[in-house]
Amino acid sequence: MSILADDGTFDKQFLKEQLSSLLKERVCTTISPDVKYLLKKAHDAETTDSAKGMIKTLLTNVEMAEKQKKPVCQSPGYPTVYIRYGKCANIAELVDVLKQVISNITKEGFLRPSMVHPLTRKNTGDNSGIGVPNIELEHDSALGFVEVLISFKGCGAELGNAVKIFTPAQIGENAKGIKEFVIDTVIKAGGKPCPPLALGIGIGGQMDVAAKLSRRAVSTRKWTDRNPDPELAVMEEELLDKINQLGIGPGGIGGKSTALAVKIGMSHTHPAICPVAVNFHCWVARRGGIRIYPDGKIEYLFGEEDK
Amino acid sequence: MKEVILNTPIQKEQVSDLDVGDVVYITGIVYTARDMAHLNIKKLLQDKKSLPEDFDGGVIFHAGPVVKKVGDGWGIWAIGPTTSARMEPYADMVGQLGVRAIVGKGGMGEDTLESLHKYGGVYLLAAPGCGVVHSEAVKKVLRVHWLEELGVPEAIWVMEVDKWGPLVVGMDSKGRSTFKDIAEKATTLKNQWFK
Repeated sequence: MSILADDGTFDKQFLKEQLSSLLKERVCTTISPDVKYLLKKAHDAETTDSAKGMIKTLLTNVEMAEKQKKPVCQSPGYPTVYIRYGKCANIAELVDVLKQVISNITKEGFLRPSMVHPLTRKNTGDNSGIGVPNIELEHDSALGFVEVLISFKGCGAELGNAVKIFTPAQIGENAKGIKEFVIDTVIKAGGKPCPPLALGIGIGGQMDVAAKLSRRAVSTRKWTDRNPDPELAVMEEELLDKINQLGIGPGGIGGKSTALAVKIGMSHTHPAICPVAVNFHCWVARRGGIRIYPDGKIEYLFGEEDK
Repeated sequence: MKEVILNTPIQKEQVSDLDVGDVVYITGIVYTARDMAHLNIKKLLQDKKSLPEDFDGGVIFHAGPVVKKVGDGWGIWAIGPTTSARMEPYADMVGQLGVRAIVGKGGMGEDTLESLHKYGGVYLLAAPGCGVVHSEAVKKVLRVHWLEELGVPEAIWVMEVDKWGPLVVGMDSKGRSTFKDIAEKATTLKNQWFK
């Protein structure tokens, strides 16, 4: 059987090994290379000893985690898996393998058991649970591979998240109302989302669509990329510049590096509304992905430490 | 800016000297406590039952570790601060317990500022997201409370630490808060941009 057969079945053992090493080596014990690059730049740009020292500690921690093969942050956050697939992928099988791998590496100490019942707060003990991991599927029949992108996103950061359904009048000229809402949300969150943070913003659709867009934008895009939509690219740059003038700084201790990136996702919406979701990502960008080709060839997402 | 080592139990006088921006290292015993541990303590106090530890002069760390079984005991594999603002509703209770230092991330609110002033304590900021760096300071897990009931992150882990830091004073006992100052300045700037 090939790795990915025409009838949609996988070589389960191969998949399990690949996903397990992806998570242990490239996700849980480090941060994605683009974010490492931005953190180093932020370190050089800081002018005070306290801010520089704080970012130095963050970078040292990443180095130590890589060397000692330990979780870079004690909190694994909440796992979301973005799967893109073509004509032949048995998604149920893939999800089953993902759940097994997450449970196994939890037992090995790469993830803290962190999933609890929302009301009783009872911990499941191995990061299993209803709706865990959060799976986002995207089908494209032209794809000749299956892509699995896994993001462990810290949840203390999510305490600052906000959604607002704007009326057309509230959007304002040049989206002034939306920009003010974003800046307000960042000020209210202060040091809570583990700055230097990244911000995902979803604009459009309905409430749930905006929220999903915000998560996808900040979780799947390289923080060094440029939005292909020129209008949104300008808005991302303007917001990033403003956020970094606020002075919140690394860890909320004060400084220039409050945000490393702002990423906006957009959908068309209805004339009555403009939903906007603001989604914080901590600096500990534990995410990685693989593309699996039918012949067993593997490609890694996020690549090397550069732009 | 001062740099001090605090040995537990910490005296009230030792923290009343500290100012925001000072750097602290802690040696001695530290208790982890998150949302559920605070809630359990509150319930025990309400029911006039005894607490699992005497927190007087103690250090509370807003954290839930990654642990590994080592022989009969536990090893701290990774540990770092969680978002402290969630523990704000227990500000006065924590002060009353005699806790002299709260360690966490992101800062806390007005009630904590008042409690630190009233009872004598400081809020210390630990580098966020640094699970390995902080775990290096942990020498030993002495005991754990409520592990079965609350699970690994929410249990109280009683740990011995050696020169744990640098931790930065983010809120002092004199009513000053780095987080409050920064938010006020940021709000002024925002109001200029969007007037």
